Order: sequence, then structure tokens, then C-alpha cells
Amino acid sequence: MSWALPLPVVVPLIAAAVLVATGAILPRRVQDAIGIAAAATATGFALLILAASERHDVLHWFGGWHPHAGLALGISFTADPLGAGMAALACGLDLLVLVYSWTYMRRQSQTFDVLILALGGAMAGFALTGDIFNMFVWFELMGVSAYALAGFMVEELGPLQGAINFAVTNTVGAYMVLMGIALLYARTDALNLAQIGRVLGHRPADRLVIVAFALIVTGLMVRAAIVPFHFWLADAHAASPAPVCALLSGAMVELGIFFIARVYWTAFAAPLHAHASGVRDVLVGLGVATALIGALMCLLQRQLKRLLAYSTISQAGTMLAGIALLDPRSLAGVANLVLAHGLLKGGLFLLCGVILVELRHIDELRVYGAGRRLPWAGVLWLLGTLGLVGLPPLGVFLAQQLLYEGGREHGFGWLAVVGAVASGVCAGAMLRAGARIFLGWGAREDELLSPEPDEHAPERDVSGRPLGIVAGIAIVLGLAASVVPGIEARTELAAERFADTSAYRAAVLHGAAHGDAAAHVSFSLLGVDTASALYGLGALAIAAATAAFGLWHRRLPPRILSAGARTLGPPVTVIRLAHSGIVGDYLLWLSGGALAVAAIWALTL
Amino acid sequence: MSSRQRLRAWIAAPVLALFAAILGWGFARAPAFGDFHGAYGDLLNRIAVPQRHTSNVVTAIVFDYRGFDTMGEEFILFASVVGVVLLLRAVREPATGQDDPVASDAIRLFGIIMVAVILVFGLWLAAFGLVTPGGGFQGGVAIAGGIVLVFLASGYRAWRTFGRERLLDPFEGLGAASYAAVGLAALIAGAPFLHNLLGLGVAGTLRSGGSMTLLNWAVAVEVAAANLVLYTEFLESYLVPHLPRR
Repeated sequence: MSWALPLPVVVPLIAAAVLVATGAILPRRVQDAIGIAAAATATGFALLILAASERHDVLHWFGGWHPHAGLALGISFTADPLGAGMAALACGLDLLVLVYSWTYMRRQSQTFDVLILALGGAMAGFALTGDIFNMFVWFELMGVSAYALAGFMVEELGPLQGAINFAVTNTVGAYMVLMGIALLYARTDALNLAQIGRVLGHRPADRLVIVAFALIVTGLMVRAAIVPFHFWLADAHAASPAPVCALLSGAMVELGIFFIARVYWTAFAAPLHAHASGVRDVLVGLGVATALIGALMCLLQRQLKRLLAYSTISQAGTMLAGIALLDPRSLAGVANLVLAHGLLKGGLFLLCGVILVELRHIDELRVYGAGRRLPWAGVLWLLGTLGLVGLPPLGVFLAQQLLYEGGREHGFGWLAVVGAVASGVCAGAMLRAGARIFLGWGAREDELLSPEPDEHAPERDVSGRPLGIVAGIAIVLGLAASVVPGIEARTELAAERFADTSAYRAAVLHGAAHGDAAAHVSFSLLGVDTASALYGLGALAIAAATAAFGLWHRRLPPRILSAGARTLGPPVTVIRLAHSGIVGDYLLWLSGGALAVAAIWALTL
Repeated sequence: MSSRQRLRAWIAAPVLALFAAILGWGFARAPAFGDFHGAYGDLLNRIAVPQRHTSNVVTAIVFDYRGFDTMGEEFILFASVVGVVLLLRAVREPATGQDDPVASDAIRLFGIIMVAVILVFGLWLAAFGLVTPGGGFQGGVAIAGGIVLVFLASGYRAWRTFGRERLLDPFEGLGAASYAAVGLAALIAGAPFLHNLLGLGVAGTLRSGGSMTLLNWAVAVEVAAANLVLYTEFLESYLVPHLPRR
């Protein structure tokens, strides 16, 4: 299967270039079809690579430059199941988005398809690469296509501001990654991750390695929307058309998290081995802060895309905390979370587009009760929400179970409670919005929610129903992600391989087979243990309570309300004001966060 | 400067100073300036000419050993230009159609001569990229720079002969696509992606480098077209609406 590795990247990129070359010749529909065919081909190959990587890592040395005596001359793609799965998720979402845009973006320029294909190819390359500079190339291509896509509705001033905030903060993050790569090259004389890891592994980390690690991880955390680097994400999502949000939230943010794990286990695990707890504490702390602040901000939104965007931030925090445990079991949990969350959140964003098309607004108070005539969309909204809260045994349930078990092994059992609260509050906000829109429940006005500019709806001749089918496919796949037979055993096995630094190195640099070809992976169904089921139901209870509070908080006794406003009001106002939408503020937060991370590691590692 | 900006600057100064201090603390362990002894660079210097028959080792790295990075970088340029065009076109006032031709015959004559000189220079840079310093990226920028002189020396109307999207878009797309297509051809032939399929030729001559020659020209076309698209967009969105009405 080695030959197939470049295809998920190259096929969409060639298609993008062909679309530009033939822009004046081919009719729009033919161009759209070329784009969809390319994305489908890429998805098919990514799935094939995923299947082939189950047994052992699949490598492709570009130009045929195999390493000599452990020295990598060229660039490699290294597909293991987690990387290939990430690529397949990105390609699959790219395909769904292009199909969705067949009608949704019909009136817009064909540039949309070009940029979506470039973004898809870049994401696949990012997931598959085994070379740190090649990673940076895809990181940048992902960035430039996504910045332009975020500004796609540029006629309105809001999108431009959201896209600018996105581009400026992420460019600073990319620069940090590049500085970290330069430091690593200065020390190791290598760009291949396995080779960097081998050289760094000779001795414990000194300050150069620590600063390089801090720079690379911080830069990736900007892309992954981790507090306090997360501010751009909500602005970018509010600005982007719904299908673009689905890609940003469903795959791009997660890729930032993915590469933190990749670079840690391939390059830094050995030199930082003695300091694993210092790395763990900082990243778990940031992850928890992100999960909780994201959930709080999610609760305060009434514009649906902003609401979902903050829920993505919250989930990204859970993912980072799961990776930070530096334990294969939690890593398997994160992998399942990325898969289920990517599909569900992608589907929910696509559903936002349906709501915009059918009801002309995506502000939950402005479309109050108007969704009664779209019961099917309401059902999909509910299903997506239940999947994100992890109703046993669906959606993110398996992920939460694995994360919980991994956390308990390292004395971080309380992380499960944080995760339940965060995902419960986010799901509560989504239930509240759904109940207002599709059932007309609760108060028509809500002074707790932030008013935001509304979005300009697409032309009226777009029908919501076919769009709803595409959204429904994503949501149903996301719900089913937990219950695919054998997925638990497979992701755990894959995560153990992902975290096996020396076997990865031997496979890349010396061509050893990495992975146990004889390993018997059963197709057993997911076992639901009582603790995890209670945990999932607890999160659901939190969600229900949150939603009820959101809908009917005016009916609470005034004494309780005023006491709550006195104690919770000031901190909530401070957090809300910090999300100012001003890019200078965001850069200040970014600098402060980078300083804090680097300083803590410089002092403790 | 508003009070908010002033406050931000006061907070930013110590934060950035401390961050710079930490960076300096880490960078101090990097090899001293001019004192880097990397085996990778030495090795490539030794093997590039015998293995690739290209006397410009940088080109061998850019188009062969690390040719896949270059493909990604080419697409970064491609996507950036597509994005810039998208953003500029949407907010642009319609062109007035006014021209502001250059009046001085001396400037026109000298400018047109320079167009030819710079075009030849750009083509030479690109063509000899595998032999002497230069290559498709540099040559493409020079070619685009030569063509933009048409505007400076003659005026907007003459420039419009070249600066049209219908003319440039195919070149931009084909430049990017053909780089990837050369890589794909190797894959279809059963070799790894971007493997050098064509004969390597004689080192130090124009007939050296094999597939690298094709990649080099693909990049030259892509870079020249992408730069011209950018110039066109900037001229259209900035210069044209501001031309004096007569």
C-alpha cells in the first residue's frame, strides 16, 4: 500500500489546480463534480491506507530516498492507524462539505471548491507526514486556505474581522512552530521526526530542547484553540459559511491536538522522560481551563455557530487533557473523541446552514419557535447533542470511558468529573437553543445571552432538505462511532503503537515492521461498565438541568437570582469581556500564554 | 493611540521582554554563528552532483531530495493568491476604465527595452537553475517583474494586454497541477512519488537533472503567473479607482 500514501494529498491538490486552470472553460456544475470526485477518491484511498496500517506502519519515501544507515535524506509519510484515521476523517469531512456546497454555495464563486480542496489535501498531508518541516508546509497550506475561506463572505464587515483575527493569531503561532523547528534542526541536524527523536534521546533535555518543545507545542495550541490561545476560533466560526465551520471544527482544530501528541511521542518522549509529570501538569491544567471556559462561553451564546464554536473549544480542552496524561489508554480515548466529535460537530454545523436557509437566521431568539415546521431538523439537532454528551453507548461515550480509565491510572480520576461538567454544560446550551427553536419552549427574551450580529442568509432558492440529508449522514456516523464492532480494541492497539517511540523509530529509519502482524483484533462489541454508564447519564443530567435553567431561569425566586448574579456576575463578565474581538488583545493573551508555558517549563523541567 | 492600545502596550512590553529572555536563554545553546557542522548538509554537498548530475546542489535539494516540500510550498503560493484574489475582488470598486498613459518618450523607450532585458534575465535564471544559482522560483519572480514594467513604462491599457485573469488563471493552475502531475507520473510508473524518471543527463549542462527540469519550469510558470495575478489585482483595486478623471 506504500504507493497510495501520497494520493489523499495529491489528488485534491491537482483537482484544485485544474479547477483554476479551467475556470473559464468548464461550466460550474462540471467543476463541482470534479471537486467531489477528487475528494471521494482521496477519502477512498485514506480508508484503504487506514486498513493497511492496521497490521504495520506504512511508509512512503518521496523520490525514493530511503534512509541510509539511519540517516533520512528525503521526506517520508508514515501511516499508522491514528494518523491514517485522522487523514480519513479530514478527507471524509471534506467530501461531505463539497457535496453540501453543491447547493449551499451554488451562487458563490468556484474559488470555494478550490480552497476547500486545498484545505483537505493539506489536512491529509499534515496527518500523514513523518517529517517536521513537511508538517510545517501542510500547517501553512491549511492556514492560508482556511483564512481565505473564513473571509469568504467578505462583502460583510464581520467576516473580514473574523478572518483577520484568525490569520494574525495563527500566523504568530506558525512562526513559533518554525522557530522551534529551527532549534531542533540546529541541535539534531535532522528534520525526520524519528531521526530527531533518536538524536535527542541520547541525553536528557537541556534548555534548547525545552524551549524548542515549548515553542512547537504553543504554536500548535494556537491552532488547537487552547485557552488562552483560543480567541480566534469563535470569531472565525461566526464569520465562516457553515460548511467551512464544519471543516475547521471537525478536523483542523483536532489536527493541532494530534500533532502535539505526534511530536511528543516521536521526538520528545525520551529526552523529557524524567520530566513527564511537569509536561503533564501544565498541559492538563491548560486542557481543564479550556474545557471549562469554553463551556461557560458556550452557555452565554445565542448565535448558533458561536455556540457550537465554544463547544469545540471546550472539547479541544478535553482532548488536550487526555493527551497530556501521556498514557496510551487516554490517547485511544482522544482518538475516539476526535472521530465522534468531528463527525457530530461537523454535522451540527451543516445543520446550522439548514436552519439559516430555512428560517433565515441562526440566532436562537430570533427564530424562536420557527423551527416547529422542521421537526426532522429538530430531531437531528437533538441526536447530535446526545452524541456529544455521550449518552451510553453512543457518540463520544466510548471516548469518555477510555479517558476516564486512563485518568484514573495516573491519579487524575477527577478529570472525568471536569469532562462531564464541561460536556454537560455545552450540551445543555445546545438543548436550550434546540428547545427554543424547534419547540418554542422557554422565554422569548434572555438577557444572559450575548447579542451578536446575525448572518446574511443564502438565496431563497436553496432547499434545506438535501442539505439536511448530508448533515444527517455526518450526525448518524458520529453517533455510531462508539459502537462500531472492535473499535475499542483497535484504537487501544493503535494508541499503544503510536506511543511506542522506539518501534516507530526502527520502522522509519531501518524499515523494521512496526506493529504486530499476528495480533488478533476481535470485532467485539463495546462493553459498557456501570461507572461509565453512570458518568454518561450524569453528564446528560447536567445538560438537562443547564437547558432547563436557560429556558426558565426567570421563574426562579428573585432572591436566588440576585444572589447568583452577585456572586457569579463579576467573574463571568470579566471572562466575557476578555473575548473582545480585538486582535491586539488576542495577541497579548497569546504572548502571555506563551510566556507562561515557556517560563513554567524553563523553571521546572 | 487610544487608551486601550496604550494599556496594551504597557502590558505587552514586560511580557515580550520576558519571553525574549527565555528564548535567548534557550537559543544560547544553539551552535555559534558559522559553527554548524551538520552531517546532512555535508552529505548532500558530496553526493548531489554524482547522484543527481546537478551542479547547483540547492536545486537538487529543492526539487529532488525534498521536492515534496516544494510541491506543498507551491500550493501555499497558489492558495494564497486564490485567497487574495477572492478577498480583493469582492470589496473592489468597479474599474473606471480611465488610463493614465506615460507621456515621456524617453521613459517609454527605456522601459520597453528593460522589459526585454529583464524577461531574458528571468528566463535565464529559470533555465540555468540546475547549473548555476537560480531556479524556477527566482526566474518566475523576475519574469513577472519584467512584465509589470509594461505598466510602469507604458500605462494601464498596455498592461491590460497581459494582466487579465482569463489569460493568467490557466497558467497559474497548470503550473501548480503539472508539478504534482510529474510526481504522479512516477507513481503510475511504479516508482515512489516524485522519483526522477527521466535520464539525469550531463552535469553542468542544460541537459541535466531529468524530471527536475520539468519541475523547475512548472514552478517558473506557477510563480510568474501567481505574481502577475497579484499585480493585476493590486493595480485593479488600488490604482484604477484612484486615477485622475479627465
